[in-house]
Amino acid sequence: MASNQEGQLLAYFTAMENQGSIIVRDVPKLDLELYIANYKGRTRFDRLLLIGQSSVPLCVDALKAAVIEAKKGKDVQRYQDAWEYLRMASPNEPETEYDNAWVNMTTKTNKNLAHQLEAELKGYKNNLVKESIRIGHRELGEHLESTGNINGAADAYVKMRPDASTVSHVIDAGKHIIGVLLQKGDWTGVLANAKQIMPPNISAEEITREQPYQRMVTGLAYLGSEKYAEAAKCFLDAGDPIMCQQYNNVASSNDVAIYGGLLALVSMDRDELQHSVLDNNSFRNYLELEPQIRKAVSMFVNCRYSACLEILERSRSDYLLDIYLQKHVSKIFSLIRKKCIVQYLVPFSCVTLGSMSSVFAKRDEGLEAELISMIKAGELKARINTIDKVGYLLVMTSSEPRTAMQMKALETIKGYQREALDQIRRMSLAAADLEIRGSARKGAVGAGILPGLGEMLDDIGGEQNLGIEGTS
Amino acid sequence: MDQCASTLLAFPPTLANVILNKESYHEAASVHTQRLAKLLKEHTRDLVAYSYELFQVVHPTVNSISYLVLLHALMFPSFASSVPSEFIQEKIVTFMMLFDGHQSRYGGTLLLDLLEAVGSGRILPPSVAVDCLAAAILKLDPSGTILTSSHLALAKLAYETNNIQAAIPVIDKDIVFYPGMANEVAVHLCDPELPPFMYISRVTGLTANVKSAAVLEYDLLCGMIYCSRREWKKARAALERAVSFPTKETGCSKIMVDAFKKWVLVGLLSEGKYLVPQASSSTAKTFGVLGGPYIALAMAFASDDVSELRSEAERNMPVWLEDGNVGLVEEVIASYQPWRVLSLQDIYTKISIPEIREQTKSAETGAPLNKDEDVESLIQNMIIEGMLKGVIEKNDDGTKFLVFLSSTTNLSEQEFAEEIQRAADRLKELKQVFVTTNQRLGTSREYIRWAVKETKRDKSGDAQDPTLGFEAQIDDEDLMSGLPSI
Repeated sequence: MASNQEGQLLAYFTAMENQGSIIVRDVPKLDLELYIANYKGRTRFDRLLLIGQSSVPLCVDALKAAVIEAKKGKDVQRYQDAWEYLRMASPNEPETEYDNAWVNMTTKTNKNLAHQLEAELKGYKNNLVKESIRIGHRELGEHLESTGNINGAADAYVKMRPDASTVSHVIDAGKHIIGVLLQKGDWTGVLANAKQIMPPNISAEEITREQPYQRMVTGLAYLGSEKYAEAAKCFLDAGDPIMCQQYNNVASSNDVAIYGGLLALVSMDRDELQHSVLDNNSFRNYLELEPQIRKAVSMFVNCRYSACLEILERSRSDYLLDIYLQKHVSKIFSLIRKKCIVQYLVPFSCVTLGSMSSVFAKRDEGLEAELISMIKAGELKARINTIDKVGYLLVMTSSEPRTAMQMKALETIKGYQREALDQIRRMSLAAADLEIRGSARKGAVGAGILPGLGEMLDDIGGEQNLGIEGTS
Repeated sequence: MDQCASTLLAFPPTLANVILNKESYHEAASVHTQRLAKLLKEHTRDLVAYSYELFQVVHPTVNSISYLVLLHALMFPSFASSVPSEFIQEKIVTFMMLFDGHQSRYGGTLLLDLLEAVGSGRILPPSVAVDCLAAAILKLDPSGTILTSSHLALAKLAYETNNIQAAIPVIDKDIVFYPGMANEVAVHLCDPELPPFMYISRVTGLTANVKSAAVLEYDLLCGMIYCSRREWKKARAALERAVSFPTKETGCSKIMVDAFKKWVLVGLLSEGKYLVPQASSSTAKTFGVLGGPYIALAMAFASDDVSELRSEAERNMPVWLEDGNVGLVEEVIASYQPWRVLSLQDIYTKISIPEIREQTKSAETGAPLNKDEDVESLIQNMIIEGMLKGVIEKNDDGTKFLVFLSSTTNLSEQEFAEEIQRAADRLKELKQVFVTTNQRLGTSREYIRWAVKETKRDKSGDAQDPTLGFEAQIDDEDLMSGLPSI
């Protein structure tokens, strides 16, 4: 029985891997129930399904929870997806029984409700009451969103905007739109709309209320489009964590702490980290939620790079199960690692490879290959010496400003000379009317001139005899 | 005969002040050439008959034009049968080596006929012809900055008959002027201050018409000449001139495409990588389509994957054959390993020979070299050629290793100053060309027309401005008039 189930799981994850999912084999530190209790709204299902698709140890539990979660809502498609996955992963669970009655009933009610809402909306439109029209659009949009019609919901939300008469209405519409855009992963759309939920004429009170949400979604959009430095700044500026937690239909304040910390590690140097992460009063509240991030940042600031990497590595599997972070984890980790290596080398003029690998060595791959690739990419200004001392030696290249200046001066003169000659030559050619002309004046200038590209490819054979005799 | 001799020897005038004054010199020279033309027309037979005696008295440097007329009479329409051709050949060489560049500006079409005949390679042995032609071109224009039809003939002859060395002084010059660009010809051809394009033109007869195809062909030939001398950097610069030739209306020439193909290969030899050509977007597109295999080869060259380079090279063999680039491709393949070794200097300061052997593969065999000694000799050759700055040293335990030295040399303050001085001198030479160009553009018809238009527009703008007009009026008017004096 047990081995049968394992076989099922193996087949399931092979299928998942083929689909392009990231598979996490290690046991994460998070507790599924506690974790999911942190969120509300549609993101709960998304997160459960992602864990079900990725995490080997938590797969069945997560999928079961996803099935239950789906049945709580009105989205039939989600139920079917979750059920399908669960059936593939573990066919013997009681939840794998397909609830046809629920599906039929929900589909029917959904349809009816949609019709009803549309009819109501039509009525409002006839009466020309702006507020009612706006509410009507919102209700229709919310219904469509909860039944899984994301595009329909986005359309309905966008229609809320023309009827918005106060700032709070505009913000409300913006949030709804951003909500669906985030689900679609449309990062540019999120960025454009996020600007609109902080209009310039709102009061200070509203700013404190809206800032966490606005920063959070902007940060997520930057994260999604791999602009880590901008994203880090947004997360670090997210304001009050309690306010932020209200928007746990998008991400929890714990998430903000993790995103902000990791991305700051990627994009900032040590002084900046100290100043804008550790000494940042408002972000400190976030860091209290995720102490390991704070520890990692302070380790980096204190030059204990191996400890920093170790701490992050321990939480890697957790980060890999995060819906927004998953795709970026390996990239972010390797960036941080490279930064650690560069920072580690700053105070030295030469380092033995042995002492470096005691700090940075990984189990499976050699450090030398990594260093070589970093040197080739220009990320590390160093050279390797494989001869002297025991083992290999990494020598930092010292910049010689004087030589560099001399070389640059001579280079500039040569460049100027070359360019000036070339310019004069071209002017002379133009003056002597010697330019090659295209199809507009085909055949007007001597032999060897080809017409435009299109014709050129057609009759290239015919042109072979033109131009250069005895030169090729 | 005496009459002929007196006409031939009438110029240059002996009076010093005439020689010094360019106006009188010009006048005298013009009259002299007219007389000579008449002489050549009417007394050709006398000139041929008494050529022995006449050549005794006419000096090639002092009486350059007269000497030229004598030669012309003997050579055209064909070699005079009454005179041994060795004699004529000898006189041609004497003239080409000794004529006075200044005086010969008046030689016109006669000189061009002679240059063309020599350039055809039929009347003199090619090695002598190249020598003579190169000397003559530089005598006529010591700066070597204008391209003439003789340049093309010289390049062709030198490349085809493999007499390259003698042509190098001409080929090495930077061409910045082209015949046909000056609107007018100088009044006094003899003026030593004249830029070359003012006296070398179709009007003066010192060059034939040069078309754009000829300009391109010259650049391509220069590139190939440098290739045959294995001077890759110069070859690349020459080919680049053809590749970046100005085009209009999405035009492109077959010669440009040919030059581009060679340019890509030569770029690999001189720089070790492919650089995007500087050309208009449509031309670059054409290059991309027609030079596809070359770009693919260049991309493979820059990678560590030797098998890809080999397969690219082998797969496109018909293309290389058709374009006549097999030799260059072979050079590229052979240079793959040295460039790989060179790329190691970005990663290592010291590396042992066995490690180099492991890490670099020969593109000729697709495998590492067999013996460490082979790697060592490869590196030695690179060091000797100046491609690599480094030394091979030996460890205590006998392993040999390569030490990469800094590629930038640290110059002492004095060396640096000298280097800068040299550069400044070069810039001063350049200034000559710059001033000339500036003058030419400043006096060109289009510019003057535009400048006149601009000044007119300014004036009319002033007139239209009502406030300015008002102020001008106030200035004229005496506002105090009519007021009772206090």
